[in-house]
Amino acid sequence: MKDVKAAINKDRREFVKKVLRGSIAGSLFLVLPMGGEGSIQIPEQIPGIRGKEYDMSKQRFAFIVDITRCIGCGSCCVADKREYDVPDGHYRTWVERYIKDFDDNVYVDCPNGGLDGYQKPRTDIPGKIRDTFFVPKLCNMCERPSCVQVCPVGATFKTPDGFVLIDKDYCVGCAYCIQACPYSARFLNPKTKTADKCTWCYHRVRKGLLPVCVHVCPAKARKFGDLNDPESEVSKILASPEVITVLKPDMGNHPALYYKGLRREVV
Amino acid sequence: MQSYNTHVKRIVLLLAIMALVGYGAKKVLTPSTFGEYGHYRGAAIEKEANRPLKHMTNYSCKSCHAFEWEIHEYGKHKTISCEFCHGPYANHVKDGKYVGRLPVKKGLEIKTLCIRCHNKEIKARPKDVIKTIKMPDHLKSQHVREDHICNQCHHVHAPLRYINRAKKVLGLLTGKEAGNEGR
Repeated sequence: MKDVKAAINKDRREFVKKVLRGSIAGSLFLVLPMGGEGSIQIPEQIPGIRGKEYDMSKQRFAFIVDITRCIGCGSCCVADKREYDVPDGHYRTWVERYIKDFDDNVYVDCPNGGLDGYQKPRTDIPGKIRDTFFVPKLCNMCERPSCVQVCPVGATFKTPDGFVLIDKDYCVGCAYCIQACPYSARFLNPKTKTADKCTWCYHRVRKGLLPVCVHVCPAKARKFGDLNDPESEVSKILASPEVITVLKPDMGNHPALYYKGLRREVV
Repeated sequence: MQSYNTHVKRIVLLLAIMALVGYGAKKVLTPSTFGEYGHYRGAAIEKEANRPLKHMTNYSCKSCHAFEWEIHEYGKHKTISCEFCHGPYANHVKDGKYVGRLPVKKGLEIKTLCIRCHNKEIKARPKDVIKTIKMPDHLKSQHVREDHICNQCHHVHAPLRYINRAKKVLGLLTGKEAGNEGR
């Protein structure tokens, strides 16, 4: 008996180390219970969300779209439609194509919201093309959202962590918010008969995963991250001397969606 | 004297009843979590946060498809999500059980999918982000038949895998690239 105790005492330090290491490693994985069949584990994509209490009032997130990297493949649109079963003809996120000629005429098109990608070049432009680029659009998650201000029933709101969300159970579908949004990010969902829009994948962010459009983007044109973490990619970009702008700053909405390398023609 | 005050009493009583009914109605009709954080239902945040996930990550495919995952993870296509080409995870596995087959692109579908990103005709694609080609010029310059489909030379999960391997065999690949088995 004494021998056993001595053995435990000897290895106690080692044992405690192992347990601690295990619990730290465990907290970095999202464990999804899978009905008795064990569980699958997904590594954390946004560091610092899992393994502690989620304090809503202390979170700050930012979304950056890098215009200089977007290739217009439409992966984001496809993933978004699948994640939320968005009805045909409505888009929570979409990709516009801007073409500028040497006479400063701007041509914008967006066939099917970019869902099918951009397979063919535009042939109906008379002048010589100077510049072509893609602009992905989504909810701007404004600091001062005009959609929230106009909602008569308190069904759209800004959460303490900065997300503008919709309470589908209380939305009456009056569509005031759709008119109020300067970025046309909202639409009336014909299935639920309520207003609908991009949520920056709030359910994924709360689980430590990136929004689905950010995750599927093959060109890393969409970036999402924690502004409280000075080491996150978005913090570094916002602190860098890159050209970073928001859409329609004159509207006074103060979006949390930033564009890197945005041309002045984009509205 | 009594009859002189009756109407005042009635009004006061009526106002009191109305206030009580109003207060009661507000109590009953206002959702319990309304006003928890602001002028909205606090429970709506949790409802949105608990929406079921449909897309997972590439990592979640690894436990069953380790062979494909390995090829994909070390290839040039590693930034592409498995679920973009094959469909969302939730259509395939639910609660740890197989629920449906995900599509595998074949034949001309593959070509359409490749051209979706790699078409040089669309000018807006930055060179440092993606390699683009023009069809059928690319096939001509590689001296293959024009009805060839991309995956006859390029492995769809790691496009330079076979090409680099062939180059290695022929001794065309040198230096750092030769070391990584033509991934």
